[in-house]
Amino acid sequence: MERIYHELSRKVHPDRFASSAVAVRDASLRATALLTRSYRTLRDPIARGLYWLELHGEKLAENNKHVPPDLAELVFDVQEHLAELRDVVGNGDSFNKLATQVSEKRTEVQALMDEGLGELERNFARWDTSKAAQESMLKLELKAILSKIAYLRTLLRDVDRALEGSQAA
Amino acid sequence: MANIFGIDLGTTNSLIAAMENGAPKVIAERDSGATLLPSVVAIAPDGAVTVGERAIELEPHLTVERDGRVSAVGFPGGEYGAVIRSVKRYMGLGGNEVAAEDRARYTFADLSGPVVRFQIGKRSFTPSQISAEILRALKERAESSLENEKVERVVITVPAYFNDGQRQATKDAGRLAGLEVIRLVNEPTAASLAYGLNKMATGNVAVYDFGGGTFDISILSIKEGIFEVLATNGDTHLGGDDIDNAIVDWLLSELPETVKRDRHVWNSARMAAEDAKKRLTEASETRIVVELPGHTVKKNLTRAALDEIAGPFVARTLNRCELALKDAKLSAREIDAIVLVGGSTRMPIVRKRVATMFQREPLCSIDPDQVVALGAAVQASVLMGTQGDMLLLDVVPLSLGIETMGGIMERLIHRNTTIPTSITEGFTTAVDNQTHVDVHVLQGERELAKDCRSLARFKLGPIQPQPAGVPRIDVAFLIDANGILNVNARDQRTGREHSIDVKPSYGLTDDEIERMLEEAIDLGEQDLEERLLISARNDAEQILGALQKQLGEFGNLVEAGERAQIVETAGRLEAARKGTDREFIAKLVEELNEITTPFAERIMDAAIKLALEKKSVEELA
Repeated sequence: MERIYHELSRKVHPDRFASSAVAVRDASLRATALLTRSYRTLRDPIARGLYWLELHGEKLAENNKHVPPDLAELVFDVQEHLAELRDVVGNGDSFNKLATQVSEKRTEVQALMDEGLGELERNFARWDTSKAAQESMLKLELKAILSKIAYLRTLLRDVDRALEGSQAA
Repeated sequence: MANIFGIDLGTTNSLIAAMENGAPKVIAERDSGATLLPSVVAIAPDGAVTVGERAIELEPHLTVERDGRVSAVGFPGGEYGAVIRSVKRYMGLGGNEVAAEDRARYTFADLSGPVVRFQIGKRSFTPSQISAEILRALKERAESSLENEKVERVVITVPAYFNDGQRQATKDAGRLAGLEVIRLVNEPTAASLAYGLNKMATGNVAVYDFGGGTFDISILSIKEGIFEVLATNGDTHLGGDDIDNAIVDWLLSELPETVKRDRHVWNSARMAAEDAKKRLTEASETRIVVELPGHTVKKNLTRAALDEIAGPFVARTLNRCELALKDAKLSAREIDAIVLVGGSTRMPIVRKRVATMFQREPLCSIDPDQVVALGAAVQASVLMGTQGDMLLLDVVPLSLGIETMGGIMERLIHRNTTIPTSITEGFTTAVDNQTHVDVHVLQGERELAKDCRSLARFKLGPIQPQPAGVPRIDVAFLIDANGILNVNARDQRTGREHSIDVKPSYGLTDDEIERMLEEAIDLGEQDLEERLLISARNDAEQILGALQKQLGEFGNLVEAGERAQIVETAGRLEAARKGTDREFIAKLVEELNEITTPFAERIMDAAIKLALEKKSVEELA
């Protein structure tokens, strides 16, 4: 995919048309903008999944704030640790101790994330071979996987921010 | 086709470069052989402009005015003008963004407006106008050195972290200098081009740019001539100046606070500190002597002591490098080459720490003061189509978004997204029969709109009165290859394009630029009307030439009726450009652009199809 993206960029990028008429330069700009956006969407499995859902008439917010039920316990646990961590910023020893615990939790979340990404890949693969009748089922499954992943991603970002913010402090 | 030149419009120095026998070369001043043009502009009360070394010579005439401002300089005749340094720091700033220390340094006109204006005598000048004088001086320098060449089309470099307003201000400066700015290129990206790293088939490059006032890091991936920026990071308030100030603190540590705070004491010490820092690039120990009124400070500074003083600042740059690597999803070991840019990278401790972090010696064979300008010249030749398959894919440094309910910034385009890029966002009404929707465009990484920088505001409408939520207007946000935002709106129901009047929060409007062009400080020999006519004729010539080439190359993509219409309009333009009615010429150029738009889009589609077909054939084989 990267090879094709590069090849197409070589064909349509505005830098190739610096001395062309304005209409051609504008067309090249629009074509390249579409190209980079397509590449970015296809390259990232989550963006790709969301786009696929959109093509099938479902829109899912990219930042999911609703906790999927089976994650509730873990989320609660992680958020609690994060709150404690924020309370001791600047307090060297207790901070480091808590930061280690949070890092362990992070590993747990990351493992779930990797699992989710695996499920996503398997779901994608099944679209290729499925019959039309199975599509609505696949779509429901895809939606559930993506909600979970989107949530985990937000959670990971929160954890990283808390750990980073502390380094700076 | 006229040559395209590369310009490094720097905070301290500016340079102009071009390709010479396939290699980039900085164009030196004909008589002195100087390559760096100090970015210093002196403006006399009558508007006479002096740039570079000669402007610096006027500086000792600096006079403190009665209100304590050090803005003015006594020109012969005893009147006041001003010498302006580091104008780049003011590019794209709104009046309210000028720091207190700067307010003491220059006299500004009304600071409540969307653009900073320096007050000099009875007139005021925007940073773009001052920068235009530096560009004009570079243009003159190159034209006198190269004799038979005209500098009309240029590539200008900007710091990677420059926001939309700062980029726009830089483009405006080019326009005010009578130059066509073909492209703005990020400085670190340009630097990577200068080293000819395209010869490296594949690899990752880090560009470490540590200047006087700012730090910038960019991570690029190179694959068969494609330079793709993966991530950039930086600190706009971290540079060699901070190290100088830390040396001053050490130097004056025994003096009482009241003495240290004295402006003259501080300035003398700062100059001595900077000199000592430079000497310690070669020497291992140096003596610093600062003559103060009634007291002389004498101290020895060793390289080791300097390393200790500079250490924390270097550590902060390395932190930024780690963040950029993380965004690029690479580890330090995966970087195959490190390019050094900026004067502060001459310090041995910087080189040592960078080498330790990346476990590799950084590249430094090209003068760090010249590397950006040389890279700009390489990009200029890419734009002229003389660099084969080489292509630069840069990113936008800051996220772009809109203000939503509750003053939250909703990100539409994330930072480090490859440009050009676009996103279309649907807007609708919140109450019944609402006829306008207000849109506030922001740039920045913070969660709240008030903490981000306001780019522009515009009103969508008029919208036909309908129940809330029914109308739908699609707004396309497009960031071009220069990192500059363009906005377009379309009513989804009627399919009609809305013309939207985008009011930039900062910066100049097109009308203001026109007016400045008219009031140009130095009109030269040609009068305005004549210059505008020449510019219109050039546009006509350019579109006619390009069109002829495209009709030849892609003739099969033109429909019969379309061809007749194009040929007819082109014929009229051909005739008009020999006349002197510039408005008529401009009108026909626009008309020709409009009717060739479908043709242009077919050319792009064909290019894409061709590439994809070739690919699938290759894959089958």
